Amino acid sequence: MDSTARETRITTAFVAVADTLTTDFDIVDLLHTLVVQCTEIVATTAGGLMLVDGDGTLQLMTSTSEAADLVELMQLAASEGPCIDCFTTGQAVSVPNIEHETSRWPAFRKAALEGGFHSAHATPLKLRGTVIGTMNLFGVNATALSERDAAVAQALADVATIGILQERLVREGNILAEQLHAALDSRIVIEQAKGMIAHSLSVDMDEAFGVLRTHARNNNLTIRDVADSISNRRLSVRRTPEGISIVSTSGGVNRQA
Amino acid sequence: MVAIPVPIRSTITSAGDAGLCEPFVSALNVSGASISVFDSDGNQSTICSSNRVAARGEALQFELGEGPHWEALQTNAPVLCPDLAAEGSSRWPIFGAAALEIGMGAVFAFPMKMGAVSVGVVDLYSAEPRQLDEEQILLASSMAGRAAAPAARFATHSANSAVAAEQELAPALRREVHQATGMVQAQLDVSATDAFARLRAYAYTSGRPLADIARDVVGRHLDFSTFTD
Repeated sequence: MDSTARETRITTAFVAVADTLTTDFDIVDLLHTLVVQCTEIVATTAGGLMLVDGDGTLQLMTSTSEAADLVELMQLAASEGPCIDCFTTGQAVSVPNIEHETSRWPAFRKAALEGGFHSAHATPLKLRGTVIGTMNLFGVNATALSERDAAVAQALADVATIGILQERLVREGNILAEQLHAALDSRIVIEQAKGMIAHSLSVDMDEAFGVLRTHARNNNLTIRDVADSISNRRLSVRRTPEGISIVSTSGGVNRQA
Repeated sequence: MVAIPVPIRSTITSAGDAGLCEPFVSALNVSGASISVFDSDGNQSTICSSNRVAARGEALQFELGEGPHWEALQTNAPVLCPDLAAEGSSRWPIFGAAALEIGMGAVFAFPMKMGAVSVGVVDLYSAEPRQLDEEQILLASSMAGRAAAPAARFATHSANSAVAAEQELAPALRREVHQATGMVQAQLDVSATDAFARLRAYAYTSGRPLADIARDVVGRHLDFSTFTD
């Protein structure tokens, strides 16, 4: 790659990994783009990306190829090798010649060499001290990644990390907001319906809630649904000589005072 | 101007809230704080207030539908009013005067942002007019962001339980107000929105807190069907 093509390539990669706030944002797609682009830009052979799960274990999210030996190498790398060391320390780990690593990582060395890989470079995905995963690049040649290439890999990983964390926060925020809405809305409708029943039947709030609950149970409905129907006058509550009656107001009534 | 009385007692008890208010008071050295969460429909639950003035200021905004926390929710940005006497009434015609009357000199509101949504607002007040400098604004904003998830969870949990301990400094959903809304709905044969508006208007014109009016309605001391208008 000449230098202009390389710069264009890098710019394109940055735009791709920064594009996380679109509506059809797909995290696996982002990670895949990141690792593929990075592998090509720094001229390595294969790559994979691992994110930490809720239990603190690294999980392989995506790799440049689904070839069994690469996937197996990645899975092994979650427990031994430069990737897990990078994850633990939060620092990039460069291995220019895997063949030399007889004492540190015997199992990783064996698997990497069997896959035809002789060099590895692990880049942390971290933001303000929190490491969320690693991006791992493998080469068939026993060469070190240049400082410049290592910096490009780290910069791309940084942008992707911000995107991943942002997306998580947005998702978590939306879930919390939905749960909050459901809880507040139900409770308010129930309290309003209790007030309506309390007035209509001249009972206290506990008895009014009992009326709601009994009707819900007898008709296999939620208390919230019954409350909503009463509040919107799709159901009317009356005291009759036979007891309390809750009847449907056909078609609903929309009366204004 | 309508006088809205504030019952201020000598002993201030701390509410059994999520402990979310106090850090704002100490870190920003303000007179008081209150925290409320809001859902997408504007339904609200008040998590805590650090003292009675803060609680009344929060209640006023609930009653009037006006004030800094509504503005913070709408704009999704901090609202700063360092001198309530000078600019309060022009920004919030009713709340501005009422807040001065209960002893507020400056008010600030910070949205509790979480990702793309705001789940609530932190209201701060100072008894004397004062500025918040840029560093304090950043601090308050980031503290408000960190309070967002615990506040939303606390409110969700509290709303999901059939019986909740609602306290003066942490009135949560103000269940009695919603019960009273239902009673007025039945009394006047109107929608919940209209019934709530009637309660609000009655509280405003009588100069009494909405919570007191609601208690009278639920206790059957006040029946809106007996009014002629």
